[in-house]
Amino acid sequence: MDNFKKKFVEEAVDLIDGLEKTLLELEENPEDEAIVQKVFRVMHTLKGNSGMFGFEMIDSFTHEMETVYDMIRNHKLSVSREILDLTLASVDHLKILLDEDNYNDPDVQANHKMLLSKVAQIIQADSETSVASSPLPTANNNLNGDSDKGSSYYILFEPNGNIFSNGTNPLYLLDELHTLGEAKVYAHLNRVPPLKDIDESLCYTYWEAILYTESSVNDINDVFIFVEDESNIEIQKIMDGNVLANEQFVSELDNLSSIQKDIGFNSVQRIAVNISKSSTTQQNVQVKGKDRVVAKDATISSIRVAADKLDMLMNLVSELVTTQARLSLFAEESAVPGLVPIAENVQKLSRQLRDIAFSIVLIPIENMLTRFQRLVRDLSSELGKDVVFATEGAETELDKTIIESLADPLMHILRNSLDHGIEDAAQREKAGKPKQGKITLKAFYSGANVMIQISDDGAGIDPETITQKAIAKGIISADRKLSKREVLELVFLPGFSTATKVTDVSGRGVGMDVVKRKIADIRGEVEIDSEKGVGTTITIKLPLTLSIIDGLLVKVEDTHFIIPLSVVDKIYAVEHEKIAKTFNNVVVLDGKQVPFFYVRREFGHTENTEKFEQVIVVNFEEKSVGLVVDTVIGEYQAVLKPLGKHYKNQDMISGATILGDGTVALVMDTNKIIKLFANHKDFAMEGEE
Amino acid sequence: MAKTILIVDDSESIREVVSFTLENEGYNVLIANDGTDALKFLDGTHIDLIITDLHMPEMDGITLIRQVRKMEQYMRIPILFLTTESQAAKKMEAKEAGATGWIIKPFVPAKLIAALNKVLR
Amino acid sequence: MNQDNLSRINSYLSFKLGDEEFAAHVGKVLNILEMTKITEVPKAPVYMKGVINLRGTVLPVIDTRIKFGMTPTEYTTNTCIIVLDIDVDGETIQVGALVDAVQAVLEIEKGKIMPPPSIGSKYKSEFIEGVANIDEKFIMILDMDAVFSTEDVTDLLNKTEETQSTTEIEEVS
Repeated sequence: MDNFKKKFVEEAVDLIDGLEKTLLELEENPEDEAIVQKVFRVMHTLKGNSGMFGFEMIDSFTHEMETVYDMIRNHKLSVSREILDLTLASVDHLKILLDEDNYNDPDVQANHKMLLSKVAQIIQADSETSVASSPLPTANNNLNGDSDKGSSYYILFEPNGNIFSNGTNPLYLLDELHTLGEAKVYAHLNRVPPLKDIDESLCYTYWEAILYTESSVNDINDVFIFVEDESNIEIQKIMDGNVLANEQFVSELDNLSSIQKDIGFNSVQRIAVNISKSSTTQQNVQVKGKDRVVAKDATISSIRVAADKLDMLMNLVSELVTTQARLSLFAEESAVPGLVPIAENVQKLSRQLRDIAFSIVLIPIENMLTRFQRLVRDLSSELGKDVVFATEGAETELDKTIIESLADPLMHILRNSLDHGIEDAAQREKAGKPKQGKITLKAFYSGANVMIQISDDGAGIDPETITQKAIAKGIISADRKLSKREVLELVFLPGFSTATKVTDVSGRGVGMDVVKRKIADIRGEVEIDSEKGVGTTITIKLPLTLSIIDGLLVKVEDTHFIIPLSVVDKIYAVEHEKIAKTFNNVVVLDGKQVPFFYVRREFGHTENTEKFEQVIVVNFEEKSVGLVVDTVIGEYQAVLKPLGKHYKNQDMISGATILGDGTVALVMDTNKIIKLFANHKDFAMEGEE
Repeated sequence: MAKTILIVDDSESIREVVSFTLENEGYNVLIANDGTDALKFLDGTHIDLIITDLHMPEMDGITLIRQVRKMEQYMRIPILFLTTESQAAKKMEAKEAGATGWIIKPFVPAKLIAALNKVLR
Repeated sequence: MNQDNLSRINSYLSFKLGDEEFAAHVGKVLNILEMTKITEVPKAPVYMKGVINLRGTVLPVIDTRIKFGMTPTEYTTNTCIIVLDIDVDGETIQVGALVDAVQAVLEIEKGKIMPPPSIGSKYKSEFIEGVANIDEKFIMILDMDAVFSTEDVTDLLNKTEETQSTTEIEEVS
């Protein structure tokens, strides 16, 4: 019986976590019936199961909550601030109730009674409250997760009458449009003369198309490059996102095209704008994949796996990838017929295996964001500050175990931002800042690391205050000169809290030193950057422990390097002369000027005598930068190995991997490397800063 | 059924690179080293696409294109010409002569295939 | 090997850096590798030679000579890498020590080990556990944890060198 109980608790935890997220969604979209239904279902399930396993308090509690949401879905009650607050409080309470030890705790009992009475009040409240009662405040929290990268365009293609005479087939061009994304094409035959007058060597048809694509306008232009001189081509952007995903848009468009000859860009845009404005359920044309459409409570079947089994799985996968690299090398070098295709197959299979194994162990950060949103919501309201919480890179994946350990430090950092960072409305106005404060959480990859940054546009940290405090505490002597960076580092010392009043929120004896230690426990590092009056940014760097990254294997002199494919844009072979003889480290590639760094030179090797160099163009902070290497060997699945504590002070190389022939290749962190190369004139070897 | 492409270029290396690329993509390749040579193939043989250089001895590309367009069987087939970027004027001339599209030298195989896909399916 | 057994063992591995002879407790030594291609990690401290592949893990290799203030190791057939277990902040990590030659495993009783000279010694005493006199030679028994720690210690030399003052110190090679 105990086992089943444990199982119930596990399931309940999952349900309740999902519930919290759903409630925050409900806050954004209070009219959305699908979401209400979701909440109701969770309450219903919890009620049904809890009794069976002896959780009577949960049983009775969720019974009441179920009633509330039943009333909401039957339009006898509407979602209000009060109800949401209460439901969220219930969620917290339910989590506590899942631990039986808490049942006899008098505080818990008291809370239980209080919540129940509140619920009872709501249920008895009259249903005379109309839909617009206690309106919810404007959206405080924005989940800018996976933003839609594409846009929708209107395209008019009117080929010249004698376009056939030089062998063009306009249909091929329309086909090509389809390859760029999703397209709907309308052919217009209204200019086709009556049968007897038709000259079959002429083209009388013209087309209008709506295209949704992530490609650029240039790419769309390219489709028509051969015919643009003798055709009328019009390409205009309608709006961001995929208009074609909106059924209403498509049907209105269909209607329009059947009524009148041309649709015309103006009509298209008019339809799109109208639809995006009018939506009682706040459904934007920007809806993409995973949102509303999929959220019909798809019950994805899942199973639970013990963590250590996952560890074993990952280790085996890593070994497999390494051994497979040796097999591939061997197959190439040996002349055994038929071995190469087999090795290639093994490579393909192990790649797929690796992808799936990773998807099991690595979880997008998004999953832990819910609790942060709640924190910001609750706390900002408590403190009387208007703060919006934005996230970027929610799809960035991290080892599940690391994510759990990150939660506390990140919560603390957020609390600090809310409490000490963001100023209250009056101060902000005085400082000329927008009334609404902003806290952003950004997650992204850099080399073999995951970076998580929390920035706020608050008051920043005053180095003077810190210095004074440190002197007062005797940590540094009064005449010691410290760089800004060193001053900020002081914040990580134990017992160092500059808050003059210890608020209940962040002054709970959990200082930045604890944060730093907890992050060090998961082999990460944390840094602070701040500017007084502007804001503070805290950056956490975590190693991708179990990782196999897709990389580009290159060689510089005798050493092999891996450049993560995720940052590689393009590779060019350029004559050595061109590289060696530039004046300002810029080379022209595909018509664009690209700054580059000559890796050999930077690492202290002699000039290359080869005729050609390989220039790898990588993405660096949204710009393109070239890295010049000797040879490009090819794609390589690199099983990452840490360099070890002896190399902890350098961050150009974020890890290493063992190649098929047993030698070691170094994984480049291109962001750090480029920053370093760019500074090399100023780079002081002895104790920088 | 595999499509047939006629390559016309007086440079052996270009002919080899192009024919290698196309054969890899599954096309049948016919090779001619200038205009006059090319015309020999245009004797009723089924051809789906012509790729030609512009500068060739004996008969240059533009003349070839004009001739091809005069033949009833080959009036509508797509013709791509190879050109270096600076020859904008030549491009106009070639198009007026009846060319469908162009490929800019130097080119990587991918560019060749991309241009091909615009005119041949 | 647990700590008890370890302390009872009196075996030391002796190795040479130039003309000087040092020794390390065998409890710290994992194995000895022949010289192999070392992948250099750019912009690292000068004594960090690079990394090698040790059965699937990446092992950092330190040029011991440079650590001891000598000229960098010149490879001969005798050059090898001693793989050591080092304690750092309560964690045990592995490191490779590049040495000119490995000599022998010596039995040295505790009684035969003298404390390191406090003055006039060429090397800072915190790195030396003791000195033993074996066959007329003085062998410095090293505290490997200290020598190969991850701290950015670049030299083990005593700043005030008085190389001529005592007869216990051998000449620099």
